[in-house]
Amino acid sequence: MVIVKRKTLTLAERLYLPEILRGLSITFRKMFQPKVTRQYPEEPLPTNEVTRGQPRLRELTEGHLACVSCGLCEAACPAYAITIDGQETDRFIEREPERFEIDMLRCILCGFCEEACPKEAIFMSTELELAGFTRESFKYGIDKLKRSTEELAPRMEYIKRINERW
Amino acid sequence: MAETRTFDYMPAGPGDLQVDRDDPLHGELLKLNMGPQHPATHGVLRLQMVLDGERIVSCDPVVGYLHRGKEKSAESLGWRKFFPHTDRLDYVQPLLNNIAYARALESLAGVEVPQRAQEVRVLLMELSRIMAHLIYLGTTAIDLGAVALFFMTFTEREKTYELLDAYTGHRMNNTYIRMGGVYADLDEDTARAIRTWVEAFPAKIDEFEAMLTGNAIWYGRNKNVGVLSRADCLDLGLTGPNLRGSGEEWDLRKTEPYSGYETYDFDVPVGTVGDCYDRYLVRIEEMRQSAKICLQALDRLEKSKGGEFLLEDRRYVLPPRSSVQTSMEELIHQFKIVTDMRLPRGTAYSCVESSKGELGFMLASDGTARPLRCHVRAPGLLNVQAIPRVAEGRLFSDMVAIIGSLDFVMGEVDR
Repeated sequence: MVIVKRKTLTLAERLYLPEILRGLSITFRKMFQPKVTRQYPEEPLPTNEVTRGQPRLRELTEGHLACVSCGLCEAACPAYAITIDGQETDRFIEREPERFEIDMLRCILCGFCEEACPKEAIFMSTELELAGFTRESFKYGIDKLKRSTEELAPRMEYIKRINERW
Repeated sequence: MAETRTFDYMPAGPGDLQVDRDDPLHGELLKLNMGPQHPATHGVLRLQMVLDGERIVSCDPVVGYLHRGKEKSAESLGWRKFFPHTDRLDYVQPLLNNIAYARALESLAGVEVPQRAQEVRVLLMELSRIMAHLIYLGTTAIDLGAVALFFMTFTEREKTYELLDAYTGHRMNNTYIRMGGVYADLDEDTARAIRTWVEAFPAKIDEFEAMLTGNAIWYGRNKNVGVLSRADCLDLGLTGPNLRGSGEEWDLRKTEPYSGYETYDFDVPVGTVGDCYDRYLVRIEEMRQSAKICLQALDRLEKSKGGEFLLEDRRYVLPPRSSVQTSMEELIHQFKIVTDMRLPRGTAYSCVESSKGELGFMLASDGTARPLRCHVRAPGLLNVQAIPRVAEGRLFSDMVAIIGSLDFVMGEVDR
């Protein structure tokens, strides 16, 4: 236990005028210190593979997703942002999503879908900015969510690395 | 001539008010609503006050403007999916809320967290405490007119955001704690960055203190304002810095140690008078102590490098990614845990010392995938409760200092 020491003001502090001068000297000194403000839209925040941006779907082969529409991300999503309708396909993975929709207004970027996905099909990208004119435009379908494997590769590597447990 | 009058808007009180009609300063009582859109109420708190001139006759806090039904949501979401919602309770210290909830789940399931995860958690908890106290310091100071300090504390807080961003990938609402440990190990670069910042931080506290502790305005507006006696605090159920400011040495990290706090070397700062000034001094000292604990945790993390940071338990913890893709059993575990993770029947209460006081989660389970009941013991609500006790009879302008020094976040108060 440590009892905090209550201060009694010294004469200079009570007179207040020297304190004003001291305050002004701090203000003056701050003028020569490096600026800390970041001019945000002009200077965007640095992003890297750790950044958890909006979820994106990985393309396994040209035009086809890695997703097999198992629905695990849908089940893991705490914001109920994901809607999946699956269908059968002749390709070797046998199933693919007919509709994969993420409501970006609901998405809270928690990364639970990425954590749950057993097929490495959904990853958090570095894309963070979101703007639109209508609510409907925030319902991202496969066409808007699709990203090539190369684009998502750094995040894929990172997820693989942090999940190496033994 | 003194006259007894009752007013239709007067809240139930000990008796009718004596109003001297002849005195021009005590003519009429004024009903005043402060908030819910007032910048000094730190969120959407509404205070219904009856003023006699500048003196507060009665004060009635109205809460609920930020009620989002978090506790009820837990009942439909399930154990795992409630994690992101805990971030949004006390949103100035998301990781601390995550840890409090995770600890409740762990005590319900009866599992132990690996050593390294405990150390990462201690580090994150202390960083969160510093972050929350920086918010307290900045916002209270700007409410009382010290505008420059607000920018200085927020500059520091911005740096802690960057550290958490480097570790979790988010600045706020991190959601990085999982049942049985933490989602990812703390890598060396981030640990080094945290160490650099924590080592430089006590000098910054000195800088803040140089601007406030001996400042005549700060001193005058905080000293002997909002005095809470030790007995008052205990009556109201206050915990945390507010209780310690009143002279009671009660810190869950010392009295009921968790996450290995008993092995860390730190002191609990305690005040003597229990006014706003004492609470300020206690929080300043707490930041220093937190920085000290952070450094100790970082030392231990260096030693425990490569240790387990997540429990190996296929009932509650997701299997590692590489094995999910190769093993059928692990895939089944993955599906079971995400969709239908069940916790044993029973109830559990687990609490941590948050920056505001005792933050506890009471979970009741009937053995299914969803909690039967999830109750959050939010320290902020009890801090709000203390406002009328300290404000009544004081000047209206003291209210801002009192609200600031009691330190609550409405996200947690209303849930």
